[in-house]
Amino acid sequence: MYKSLIRATAAASAAALLATSAWASDLVVTFDDLNPAPKKAFEDAVEAFKKANPDINVTVNITDREAHKSSIRNALLNDAPDVITWYPGNRMGPFVDAGLFMDISDMWASDPNLSSKFNAIKATMTRDGKQWGVPYSYYQWGVYYRKDIFDKLGLAEPKTWDEMLGACDKLTEAGVTPFTIGTKYLWTAAGVFDYLNLRTNGYDVHNDLTAGKIKYTDPRIRKTFDNWKVMLERCSPVKNHATMSWQDAIAPFANGDAAMYVMGNFSVAGYKDAGLTEDQIDFFQFPEITPGLARAEEAPADAFFIASKAKNVENAKKFMAFIAQPDIQGEWNKAIGQLPPNSDAAINKDDKFIVEGMATLSTASGLAQFYDRDAPAAMAKAGMEGFQKFMLDPSTLDEVLANLDKVQSEVY
Amino acid sequence: MTVSEHANSRYDTSMPKVAMGCAAAVVALLVMFSIDVTWVTENFGYEKRTDARVPTFFIRMLFLIGMLAGAFVAFTNLSYYKRNRVALAPWLFLSVGLAFFLIYVIIPIFQSISYSFTKWNGLYDVTGTWTGEWVGFENYRILFGDPNFYTSLYNNVLWLLLFMLAIPIGLGIALFLNQTVTGIRIYKSMFFFPFVISQVVVGLIFSWAYNPEFGLLSEIWGWFFCEQKINIVGNITTSCSVDPPSILGEAKYATYGIIAAGLWPQIAYCMILYLTGLNNVSPDQVEAGRLDGAKGWKMLRHVILPQLRPATFIAVVVTVIGALRSFDMIATMTQGGPFGSTNVLAYYMFDQAVGEGVGRYGYGSSIATILFFIMLIYISYFLWRMYQDEKAER
Repeated sequence: MYKSLIRATAAASAAALLATSAWASDLVVTFDDLNPAPKKAFEDAVEAFKKANPDINVTVNITDREAHKSSIRNALLNDAPDVITWYPGNRMGPFVDAGLFMDISDMWASDPNLSSKFNAIKATMTRDGKQWGVPYSYYQWGVYYRKDIFDKLGLAEPKTWDEMLGACDKLTEAGVTPFTIGTKYLWTAAGVFDYLNLRTNGYDVHNDLTAGKIKYTDPRIRKTFDNWKVMLERCSPVKNHATMSWQDAIAPFANGDAAMYVMGNFSVAGYKDAGLTEDQIDFFQFPEITPGLARAEEAPADAFFIASKAKNVENAKKFMAFIAQPDIQGEWNKAIGQLPPNSDAAINKDDKFIVEGMATLSTASGLAQFYDRDAPAAMAKAGMEGFQKFMLDPSTLDEVLANLDKVQSEVY
Repeated sequence: MTVSEHANSRYDTSMPKVAMGCAAAVVALLVMFSIDVTWVTENFGYEKRTDARVPTFFIRMLFLIGMLAGAFVAFTNLSYYKRNRVALAPWLFLSVGLAFFLIYVIIPIFQSISYSFTKWNGLYDVTGTWTGEWVGFENYRILFGDPNFYTSLYNNVLWLLLFMLAIPIGLGIALFLNQTVTGIRIYKSMFFFPFVISQVVVGLIFSWAYNPEFGLLSEIWGWFFCEQKINIVGNITTSCSVDPPSILGEAKYATYGIIAAGLWPQIAYCMILYLTGLNNVSPDQVEAGRLDGAKGWKMLRHVILPQLRPATFIAVVVTVIGALRSFDMIATMTQGGPFGSTNVLAYYMFDQAVGEGVGRYGYGSSIATILFFIMLIYISYFLWRMYQDEKAER
C-alpha cells in the first residue's frame, strides 16, 4: 500500500512536470572519443543540431574510446542512450543479432541523403539485408612514403606489384629499409594482409574470408601469403617490429631509415609531429597485384546507431538524418582531418592527403572495413596473432594457416 | 521469584524488543523497495533518471542497513539466541564477511564454471534474455586442442619454477646484508626498494630497458657491435654487425624477459623475509655449532637454515602467489605477445573473455575453470600443511 502511495505521488508529480514543459523532449547521445579534435567536432555538430531543433533537450555523454568498447554492453541494456557510436561491419554484428540496435532501413530508403549519397558505404552498414546506422566519418588506408627519399633515388610511385618490388630493391641497395611497421598491438599487420588479399583476390574473396566462408588454407589465400612472403623478403619491414607500436614505428620513417608505411590517414598527424613536412611525405594506393582486378580499398568508418531501448526514437531519427547532411558531414570531417561518407559533402581541398583519399575511395569498387572489424573479434585476434607469427618467421606458414582454420571452425 | 527463575529470565525472549526490531526491519524493507530512480528523480530535483541512480543506490543502502539493524535487534532478543549466545555470536560477526564472500567469490566461481559449458559473447538481448547457448564440453574439447592453451600452461609452469629462484637469491642477499657496517640500513633499503615500486612501473622500466631501438640493453650492445652512420637523408642512424636481441619481440626470449623483470621485486621481498628471520636466529645455537667445528656451508645448512624454516615457508608461499600474479607484468610488457607466446592462463582467460572485445565468455570461463582446479591443488596442499603444523604445535 505504501508503495502504491508513492507511485501515485510520483505519477502526480510527473504529470505536473509534463504540464510545465509542454513541448520539450529529450535526446541522449553517447559519443566515444575524448581526443580534443574529435570531441570538439562532435560538440559543434550537436550545437548545430540544437540550433536547428530548439525544442529538443540534448544530453551528451562522451566516453573514452577503449572504455566504451566494454561499457557499451551495459549501456545498451540498462538506461540506454538514444543514439550511440559504434563500428559498422562485423563489429556491429553481436549487437544487431542480440536486437540491441534499431533497424533504420526505413530511413535509408526515404531520407534524401541516406538514400542516394551513401552508396559506397551502404554495404558496410548492412546486415541481414537491413541498415543499422549512419556513418559520420571514414578515412583511407594506403602507402605513405618519403617523397624526398624516392626522389633522391629516382623512384616513382609504384603502380604495380613488380614496380613496388623493384623500388624496394633499390631502397634496400641504398641502405634504406623499405617498410616500417609496428606490430606490437597486432592490428597494423592486418592492414598489410587486407591489402595483399584485396589486391591478390579481390573484394569478394576477402569478404568471404572474413565472413568465414573461405578457409585460410584455401589456395587463393595461400597465394596471398606467398605474395606476403615475397614482400617480406624483398620489401623487408623494420627489424624489431614486434616490440613497436604504430607510433614507435614512425621513428625510423621520420629518421629516413625506412621509406614506406602501410597505414591509415590518421597517421599523417604523427608524421608531422615527428618533424616531417608536407613535401617530404606523400601517399599512393597500394599497387595492383593481380592485373585487371577491380580495386577495393580499406576504409574504416565510424557510425551512430539508435539503441533498441531508446526512449526518444523520433528525436534520435531526427539526429541521424541531421548528421547525414552534406554540410554537417563536411564541417565535421574538416575538423578531424577525415573523409565525409556523404558524397556531396565538401572536403578540405588544402589537405593533399584528404584530396587523394577522396579520389581513392570514391573510385573504389568496394570498401573493406579492416580485418578486425570485418572478421568477428575472436577470429580477428587469432588471425592477427597468426599474421605476426608469420611475419616473424615465414616458415611457420602451414602451422599458422592450419590453426586459423581451426579457430575459424570454432568461432563462426 | 526464586534464584533459578531469575536466572532463566536472562534467556527469555524480550517480546517488545523483538516486535520493534521486526517492525523496523519490515518498514525499512518496504521503503527500500518503494524508493526507485523515478521517485528520487522527481523528489530530489534531478533532471534525469541517470543522474539519480547513485543517490538512489545510497538511499536504498541506508534502508538496507536499517533493515539489517532491525533484524539484528529482533534476533538477539530471542531466547533461542540468548541460550546459545556463545555458539552463535561468532557466526553473527562472521555473517557480514561470509555474505560478501558468498556474493563476490563463491557464487561467481559456480557461475563461471556454468558459463564454461556455454558459447556466449557476453550479451543479453533487448528483453534482458541471456543470448548464449549450452554446448556441453565443447569449450574443453577446443581448449585441449588449442596450442595457445598449452603455451599458457607451459608459461605458468615456467613462471612457478623460475620464480623460485627469488628464494635462494633473496637468502643470499640477506646473508650478505646481515652484518653491522656503518650505513647498512641504507644498503638494506636500497635492496628493498624494487619491492616498493608498483608492478606496472617495474614492467614499464624493464620493457624500456629491453627495447632494441633505444633501450639500456641495446645501448650497451652498441658499444661492442654497432656504429653510427649517416643515412640517405643525412640523419644519424645506427647500424650493427650483430643485431641487438629483441627480448620482448621474440617468442623464445619474451617470457624469460618478463620473468626476470618479475624476479627483481620478488627477490627484494624474499630478502626482507630472510633478514627478519636472521634477526631471530639464536646466537646460542650458532655459538654451539661453532664450538662443534661447524662453519661456512655446514653452519648454514645445519644450523641457520633449520631456524629459518618459518621464513622459508612464507617465502615459498608469497613466491608462488607472486608467480600466479604475473598478470600485471604481462599486461604492461607484452599483452601476451608476440603472437600469444607470453600468455599465462590468467592472461589468456582475460584476453579471450573481455580483452579487446573478443567476447568468448564461455571459452574464457573454461580456461578460468581449469586454472581454478590447478590452483585448488596448490591451495589444498597449503591448507593441509598449515593444518598439520598447527596440529603439531598443539
